[in-house]
Amino acid sequence: MDRRASIATLLGRWSEKSHAAAKVAAMAVTSGLEPYAGPWNREQAAHLLRRTMYGPTKAQIDAALSMGLDTLVNELFADPPAPAPPAYYDFEDDPNVPNGQTWVDAPAPQNVVGLNGARARSLRAWTMNLMLDEGVSIHEKLTLFWHNHFAINNINDARFNYRYIQTIRQQAWGNFRDLVKAMTLDPAMLRFLNGNQNTNVAPNENYARELLELFTIGKGPQVAPGDYTNYTETDVAQMARVLTGWRDRGFNNGNPVAIEAYFTNNRHDTGTKTLSPRFDSVSIPNMGDQEYAQLIDIIFGKREVARFISRKLYRWFVYYDIDESTELNVIEPMAQLLIDSDYEIRPVLQTLLRSAHFHDMLSVGPMIRHPYDFVFTLLKTTGVPLPTDSAQRNAVVFRLFQLVSTMEMAYYNLPDVAGWKAFYQEPLYYRSWVTANTLLLRSAYTKALAGPGQVYNGFRLRIQPLEWIASFDDPFDPNLLIEEMLRLLCPQPLVANQLVALKEVLLPGLPDYEWSIEYGDYLADPTNTALRDAVTTKLRNLITAILGLPEYYLS
Amino acid sequence: MKRRKFLQQSSRALAIPVLLNGLPMSAVARSSVFNQMNTDSDRVLVLIQMNGGNDGLNMVLPVDQYDGLANVRGNILLPQSSLLSLTDTTALHPAMTGARSLYDQGKLGVVQAVSYPNQDRSHFRSTDIWTSGSPANEFWRTGWLGRYMDTQYAGFPEGYPNEQHPHPFAITMGTAVSETCQGIVANYSMALNNPFSLAPLLEGEPGTLPNTPYGEELQFLRIAISQTNAYGEVITEAANTGANSITYPANNNLAGQLKNVALLIAGGLQTRVYIVNIGGFDTHANQVAAGDPTTGEHAALLAQLSDAMAAFQADLQALGLEQRVISMTFSEFGRRIRSNDSMGTDHGTAAPLFLFGSCVNPQVLGESPEISAEASLDEGVAMQHDFRDIYGSILMDWFEVPENDVRSLLYADFTYLPVLRNCAVVSTRPEPLADATVQLELFPNPCRDWATLRFSSLREWARVSIFDTLGGEIRTLSNQTFGEGRHEIRFEASDLPPGAYFVRVQLEGRAQTKRLVKL
Repeated sequence: MDRRASIATLLGRWSEKSHAAAKVAAMAVTSGLEPYAGPWNREQAAHLLRRTMYGPTKAQIDAALSMGLDTLVNELFADPPAPAPPAYYDFEDDPNVPNGQTWVDAPAPQNVVGLNGARARSLRAWTMNLMLDEGVSIHEKLTLFWHNHFAINNINDARFNYRYIQTIRQQAWGNFRDLVKAMTLDPAMLRFLNGNQNTNVAPNENYARELLELFTIGKGPQVAPGDYTNYTETDVAQMARVLTGWRDRGFNNGNPVAIEAYFTNNRHDTGTKTLSPRFDSVSIPNMGDQEYAQLIDIIFGKREVARFISRKLYRWFVYYDIDESTELNVIEPMAQLLIDSDYEIRPVLQTLLRSAHFHDMLSVGPMIRHPYDFVFTLLKTTGVPLPTDSAQRNAVVFRLFQLVSTMEMAYYNLPDVAGWKAFYQEPLYYRSWVTANTLLLRSAYTKALAGPGQVYNGFRLRIQPLEWIASFDDPFDPNLLIEEMLRLLCPQPLVANQLVALKEVLLPGLPDYEWSIEYGDYLADPTNTALRDAVTTKLRNLITAILGLPEYYLS
Repeated sequence: MKRRKFLQQSSRALAIPVLLNGLPMSAVARSSVFNQMNTDSDRVLVLIQMNGGNDGLNMVLPVDQYDGLANVRGNILLPQSSLLSLTDTTALHPAMTGARSLYDQGKLGVVQAVSYPNQDRSHFRSTDIWTSGSPANEFWRTGWLGRYMDTQYAGFPEGYPNEQHPHPFAITMGTAVSETCQGIVANYSMALNNPFSLAPLLEGEPGTLPNTPYGEELQFLRIAISQTNAYGEVITEAANTGANSITYPANNNLAGQLKNVALLIAGGLQTRVYIVNIGGFDTHANQVAAGDPTTGEHAALLAQLSDAMAAFQADLQALGLEQRVISMTFSEFGRRIRSNDSMGTDHGTAAPLFLFGSCVNPQVLGESPEISAEASLDEGVAMQHDFRDIYGSILMDWFEVPENDVRSLLYADFTYLPVLRNCAVVSTRPEPLADATVQLELFPNPCRDWATLRFSSLREWARVSIFDTLGGEIRTLSNQTFGEGRHEIRFEASDLPPGAYFVRVQLEGRAQTKRLVKL
């Protein structure tokens, strides 16, 4: 650390700007949103796929390479097939729904023991499977982005969570304004932020505040009491009045009642609401059940909304540190694009993924993988087999859900309304994933899967090294073999002494050709268990070492 | 740590302000006392973070304001007969029998109406302010304890742990490090769930890293991994050496965290700060159960908190560690004075906090907040005490940081509060001026264009300011030294919109806040 830092710096009194300068002067990325014009080879294709999906395979990277950047980016946004809704996989006691059938529109009789839990498991297993089976698509990572953006937790009726996530899935790269409107009336959100208790008699401003602070315009510096630059406490209070009268229906209801939001006029504040000068002191007359939409249109009239969501997208797909150059050359043009396209998400994301900035070598590798990325990349890139029986597969992927939860990331249960700290909390950002606890859990996971395997519900999840390397360009040459593994698992090349150390793990004290011979012997006689085991053990040691490298933690 | 080393290190790290100003007399006087003491500092601070914004009015009830409370939060108000009395004017929630017994033993202090000027009602921003110790309008990236540790442990994290400092400086029980311990370069706290399950990790290949964002993140990971290994060893050793001496309450997550803290201290870990967490205080709805305000979500949380506090203190006492440990609670804000229609309360301003341990000053510091039956919808409890004054007083009395350094670490207007006592206090100040009360008077009240404020002081500094109902410090009337006696200040209110305001007088070691209505 630089002990010559000024006392002001020492005491942390640095502004946003001086922070960028004080940061131990890592080389800054100065490229912007202009189209990328550099070479297109494996490294670029792999970088793009790593950031947009979980654990691309060699075959997917090869296909991406031959597609070219433009086509690949189109492909990432191809409409995915609509998945079948989640079904029970381990529950026989629902009087209305047999095991194996979906419960998403069925009543939720609360006197049936275990019903809520079975649905929760089913929903989570379904969600894990969608990530594991995503194909070459940005859809899953973008869905998780919005889940983090419109965070909820502890909504203990799986049908509400299903409805909520379906809304996000269906509009993931659609119109941001429409998505905010949908979320505002989403039954799970109405419950989570007490919108369902917001009435003319006693307004509850929980949702209104987060709508501004976290969902749309963001909070600027507090420049006067109750004035946060982009909005004021008056706006929070007035907007809460606008949003009065909405409730949700059907929660944990044992009768066939459709889950929905509904409006009750006599709970709605019919007075005129007047916003602060931050929103041009605009007045909103009574518009009943259309008033919320009018309000959201007013919020979206402010350019800051485009900047706010651009920064969040940037932090999700590129890097957390937004310096002056990035603000000017990336965020500002992204915001303009959003405004020009009336807040459509797809064009701005496609432009970002095709940009010089995204493909700049300095953008490659500094993202600490979040737990889903960490866990699923291993499974998918190395092709770990999953059970073929659907019930067993669901049970196993539910265990994966639980594992990732211990690493501090759980679908449908975000820590709070701001989402995961890694995407907003200064100064740590992504680094907040890394603690003594989570390091130990991550390490235990990679060691198990590269080594003896992890048994879940009678099924052993385990990397199959020989099956994996069979797809490699040249698995006979130990140098090329290691290089290919690293290219698939780590974002940047390792230095020479690391490569030497890894080869030493594969071939302790032996010349390179010994690997070629042993591997050749095995291929010539693949059913010979002794030969197979010999090379497998060596490969497991190598893979364990690679997955233990801090480099694997990065994307 | 040896006192001498502390001084050497602090004069190196904080050289600039000290040299600019010359060594202040008070610091000289105090350090001579320290030299005589020559103690190895083995003091521990435990912070209990109550996430979500705690409704202080439902935890420490101002019983002298009960009529006001009945008017503005009748639907959630605890029956007076259920309360656990502390003083003539304050009482605890009936679920807090453990805290009450700590008070009876002289081990619980309450500080009334703690907040900061210009209260921010966002959870995240306000948590950042509480953890960083920044003013509301400045963004500081370091935590209040992290800044202090930066003055003590040069170069951290590179080269740590080492022979001199083999143990982690701070531990967060849970899975995320605490922002209170964020230093300029790294966070001093280590997140720990289970002190028994720390297996060594593979360490990265040393070598020069590229000067790029990738290189920076990789360097961070390498250090995190090797520190986890090194600290893991000493933690496991302490966990295996120590033993709890009492049984902690079951099904109480906070108690489980504090149990591990006691275990590690007993096992000889020299960690100086522990942070534990209890969430769920964002009680917009169903704060109390309909029909029985003594039960509900908030009651359950307070019971957990109070049971855990009492168990932890009993354990420390039985282990003979009481003189080494103090604990403090905090939450990002208090809640609105008026309850809402959902049997809950929305984000507000100030709230009381607890300090406990045998070294705390077992008093209720400050007066009951004034609860007007006319409180507006957005009105929060007005601030009496600035949280940074509590932090700074702990730094001075517990960690022996000179007052001038405290001003640099926190804020220039820092004023010492007597929250610790006896075994703790190393300050050379004369006994605080507690019996010299502020005796703030406002008249006329309600007022039209102006009001007169009267208060008493000794010869001392005073800050007199006006707050609005949202906690904004909208005007400073005076910030200077006064002579001994009674003073009068005229407050020109003609340019202010009608409504409620709060007049706050901060003297050295005590403060008073009163509500003033402008017609």
